[in-house]
Formats: sequence, structure tokens, C-alpha cells
Amino acid sequence: MPATAAAPVVLEGRNLTMRFGGLVAMAEVDFTLRQGEILGIIGPNGAGKSTLLNIITGLYRPSSGSVHLAGERIDGLAAHRIVGRGIARTFQSSRLFGDLSVLDNVVIGRHAHIKSGLLDAILRRGRAQAELHAAAEHAASLLKAVSRDLYAQRHRPAAELPQADRRRLEIARALASEPRVLLLDEPSSGMDDADTDALMADIRALCAQRPDLALMIIEHDMRLVASLPHRVLVLDYGQKLAEGTYEEVRAIPRVQEAYLGRKGARHAHA
Amino acid sequence: MSASTSASHGPPAAVADATGPAAANAAPSVTAPRAIALVAAIEIAGALFLRQFLLAEDWRVVVGLLALFGCALVAMQARPLWEARIEAAFAGQARLATLLGLAIVLVFPFVVEKSTYALHLLVLAQLYAVLALALNFQLGSANIPNFATGASYGIGAYASALLALNWDVSFWLALPAAAIVATVFGFLLGVPSMRTRESYLALVTIAFGVVIHQLLNNLDFTGGPNGLVGIPAPELFGHSFASPLVILGYELPSQANFYYLSALLVGIAILFARRVHDSAVGLAWNAIRADELAARCQGINTTWYKVLAFAVDAFLAGFAGTIYAFYVGFISPDNFTFLVSVTIMTMVIAGGMDNTLGVIVGAFLLTLLPEKLRAFSDYRILFFGVTVIAFLMIRPQGLFPQRLRRYGA
Repeated sequence: MPATAAAPVVLEGRNLTMRFGGLVAMAEVDFTLRQGEILGIIGPNGAGKSTLLNIITGLYRPSSGSVHLAGERIDGLAAHRIVGRGIARTFQSSRLFGDLSVLDNVVIGRHAHIKSGLLDAILRRGRAQAELHAAAEHAASLLKAVSRDLYAQRHRPAAELPQADRRRLEIARALASEPRVLLLDEPSSGMDDADTDALMADIRALCAQRPDLALMIIEHDMRLVASLPHRVLVLDYGQKLAEGTYEEVRAIPRVQEAYLGRKGARHAHA
Repeated sequence: MSASTSASHGPPAAVADATGPAAANAAPSVTAPRAIALVAAIEIAGALFLRQFLLAEDWRVVVGLLALFGCALVAMQARPLWEARIEAAFAGQARLATLLGLAIVLVFPFVVEKSTYALHLLVLAQLYAVLALALNFQLGSANIPNFATGASYGIGAYASALLALNWDVSFWLALPAAAIVATVFGFLLGVPSMRTRESYLALVTIAFGVVIHQLLNNLDFTGGPNGLVGIPAPELFGHSFASPLVILGYELPSQANFYYLSALLVGIAILFARRVHDSAVGLAWNAIRADELAARCQGINTTWYKVLAFAVDAFLAGFAGTIYAFYVGFISPDNFTFLVSVTIMTMVIAGGMDNTLGVIVGAFLLTLLPEKLRAFSDYRILFFGVTVIAFLMIRPQGLFPQRLRRYGA
């Protein structure tokens, strides 16, 4: 594995706090993500993992703190602008455009790169069509690169895909915007072991193809967390509990408590 | 041909096993002569059907024709492959289909036995087709439940009528002016609507429609409940649209003028709808319809695209309103009630969301049906409802449901 410690920081969160009324969903969390690095985010349900993703992607505006992408501040920008800056994401429960074709899903992922608007579509049809066809071709080659199987099914409605392919398609759609940072929200949820293995192989292949892409993965499946991320960040009750390699983090008693309860943690020590 | 390339890539066995839509997607190839015959037969049969339906006086004939239409729908529903074949034929012979369709539209007024009533119904049906196409941008493409299309229609009608009555503006200038006024109102409705969604959004649009209706009813310069009277008929190169239209020595009733005018507008609206649907804008609307949050996370400015849908809807509705005002020469607030908006919405849903042809067929059906069921007098609306429900039971996704897009490859 390449040493990523020397790579430049792509994404950085400083002192992120998120309050919903009286509820503190996230308190003063810092994180950094370097080019080519895979950061795993773990923590029990309600720990604030998805909140963190929603802050980064602009769905939430943090109550305080800031997010920086390659040195530029991006918190407070609208979600659709952040995609254009180079952050793409997938969703925990896959949120595909089910009644559109597989190919169209990926074409929509390229939206941030499409310039022509309504007037172009009506008055300068040739230009708008050329741009859309170029996007469709790019999308087709992206699908082919992600999975041949998916490419063969590109004219089917996305809703008809099996679970593993849906997750693949979501990743392909996110990649279509040519992101610098890719955020995966529980990519293995609802998958069996075989599918998870395939997913891990996909992610490895993806990182080999795009060595500069930085990944942030929220995960529950410890098999995946143990093998993929370079570093792991543990959240609990909206606070950062620990950060380090998987081996370091799993040895910390407070992490074990958060996951297994106090009693379980004691057993783990014994 | 796109059909042959997709077949040669060949989906793996596991995919080929999947039935239904997958089978329909592997578009069946139709040879050119067959396709030409199929396209011509369907278009001519459609035109003949419309003619007989328009001229039918006897209620038994009307019911018979409706039953025939129902049978055609049942056949289409039961044999998806036929439908796919017809679709492939039209896709392969797009130019022929367009030219033949154009010819049929041009010739049609000559074959309705100079019936002013038939022509009148056709003008109304075509105006409703434009309105339904306008609403389709919102309801069909982006799933925005806008109940104010009737209000935009009214704004277009009143704006052009006021321009003509107060400042002697000609129809041809009033037409774009009214569309622009309607678009401005569309923006005015769209912007505050963005603070709400789904049912609440529907409520905002209903309120807008009611407010416009009340304003037209109570303002002095709109003539109050009496409306505006004496809107002059348009003129073109000295030919008044109120006088009969003589073509090659054949005299058509004056309604034919407006028939051709509204046909032109339908043509423009179809072109407009096609281009927008096949563009990144149409795709962005579809993404919003499927999952708004996911759409935002693909870089789509959902607020802007939703407001845009309001503006486009109002723009086309404004055009239709102008032609209506100059056609009937007299408008009142009661022409543009909430019920009109609901009717337009039904046309889109029954015809087929996000399908240009479906929406137009829906508009024709829902305009002509209540007129043709007059023989049932008091039970007319009941029959109307039963018929529409029956058609929807046969084709639950609308008469012509939306299609997946296909690109060159």
C-alpha cells in the first residue's frame, strides 16, 4: 500500500458541530482526508456518521466549524455546487432513479459537467444534443469499466437491477461527476458475504484505476473495515472517540465499549 | 440500426431470461416496407377513427367507436411485442410518420363535411392538447402537482384581450406578449412554491388559481364577472379569421382558420416538448421526479429546475389562452376555473405521463368525450367518468406510458 501520509490533504473538517434544536448530533469533530487515502468511519447507530456525510455534501449546514476542499471552504455551499467542486456520494439505502435506464442514471451523474440549458435545448438543439451524446458515451464507457455485466444491462430500468448491481450503479453514477473525493454510505448494507467480497474487489479495482481518488467509507461490516481503509475514525454520540489504523482503534477499550457495551468489552479483554 | 447493435452485444443469459420490459427493450426489427405500411395504416386508421367519432350523431355509433378504441387498448396491453413493433416502425420511419401526420392534419378539415361543430371541437381539443403538453413538463417530467395551469391559460387570454381592446395591439403581437406575461406569473407562482413540496405545493397552486379567478372576477379593468367582450378576430394579409377560408375554390367554415392556427401551435408545442424531453433539462426533471435528494447530490439545482418547469408551463399555456380569447371573442373568469386545471391534469394522467403522444391523445379524448356523450343528457358526466376509469383499468400507466430514452448506441 502506498504511504499516504505524505500526500496532500484533499478534504478537511474543522471543529464540526451540528445541532438540531436542543439535540447535538455532532460535536467538534475534526478529520482530514488525503489524496489516495481510504478513511473508514465507524460507530454505533446514531453516532453521527450520516450527519457527517450530509454536512460534507452540503445537505446540512454545520452549526459551527468548517469544511475545506483542497484548501477552499465549501460548507454553506448548496449541495449541487459541492458536486461540481468534486465531492460525490452514494446513499445508505440505494437511491437510484428507478424508472430511468441504467445508462441515464450515469448520464445524470454527469450533470455538473453539462453546460447547455433550456434555451440551448430549444434553440440550439445540435449543440445540446452533441453534449448529451458525449455524456452518454462517457457514461457507457464508465459503466463498462465498473462492470461489464452492468454495461450489458444499460437499457434496463435501474429499479430492475439486483441489489449488488444497484450498489455498483450508484458508485458508477457518483464517479460520473469525476470527483476528487468519493463518499460511500454503508455500501455493503443488505449484502451477503459473497456480494460484500465482490464490492471490496470493486473498490480495490477503483482505487487502482484512480490512485488520486480519496475515499471515505461509512461501514458496519468489520470485515470490510479491517481490510480496506488506511485509517479508521470512530464516532460515538456525535463525538470523535478515536482515530488510527484498524489495529490501533480496535484495541482501545472505549471503542469496544461503544460497540459491545461495557460487559461485552470486558469479555473481549478476557 | 440501433436494434441490431444492441442485439449483437447480446445480454448475458441471466439477463435474457428476464421477461417483460427486458424483452421489450430488445427492440424487434421491422423491415422497411413493413414499417412504412404499418405507419401509414396506423396514422390513416387513427384519422378515420377521429373523423367518424367527430361526425357520429347516433349514441350507438359513439359507444361502438369507444368500444373499438377499448379493444385496441386491450390488444396493446396483452401483446407488448406488437406495441414494441409499432414503436420500432415509427422510430425507423420517423420522417415518413411526421410528413404523413402533417398531411393528415392539413387535409382533415376537408373531410368533416364542413361541420362547424366538428371544427370547433377540434380547435378546443388542440388548445387543450397544448395545455396538457404544458402541464406535462411539470406533472409528467418532474412530478410537480401544479393545479394552476388553468390560471396561466386565463392570464394569457386576459393579457392578450386587454392588449387588443385597450391598445389595438394585433393578435400576432399580443400572442408573444401574453406568453411573456403568463411566464412572469409562472415565475411568481414558482418561486414561493419552492418553499413547499408535494401536497403542500399542490395547495399553493390551487390557492394561486383561486386568487387569479377572484381577481379577474373583482377587478374593474378585467370587466369583473362579465369578462371582456368584442375581442377582434385576427387578420393575416388582409384575410380576417372571422370569414370563411377558401382554399383552391373549396370553402371551409371560419373555424378552419383557427383550426390551422391551433394546429400550428400544437406542432410548435410538440417540437418544444420533444427537444426539452431529449435534453439534459428533461433528464434533470426526470431525476427530480424519481428522487429529489439524490438529484441534488448529482449536481442538479433542483430549485431552479422546478421554477423553470413552472415558467415553461405558463409560457405555453399563455399561447393557448391567447388563441382561445381571439377565437371565441368573449372571455369571462368562469372560462378559467379550478375545474379547468383539474381537467388538464386528468388529460396528462390518463394520456400517459411524460409521453408527448399520450398527452395529446388524452387531451383529445377528454375534450371530445363529454361532447359526444350528450345523448346521455343527465348521465353524461357519469358515462364520461366510467369511460375514463375503464380505459385506465386497461392501461394503468396511461394510454401511452413513458418510454426509456435511447441514445445513438
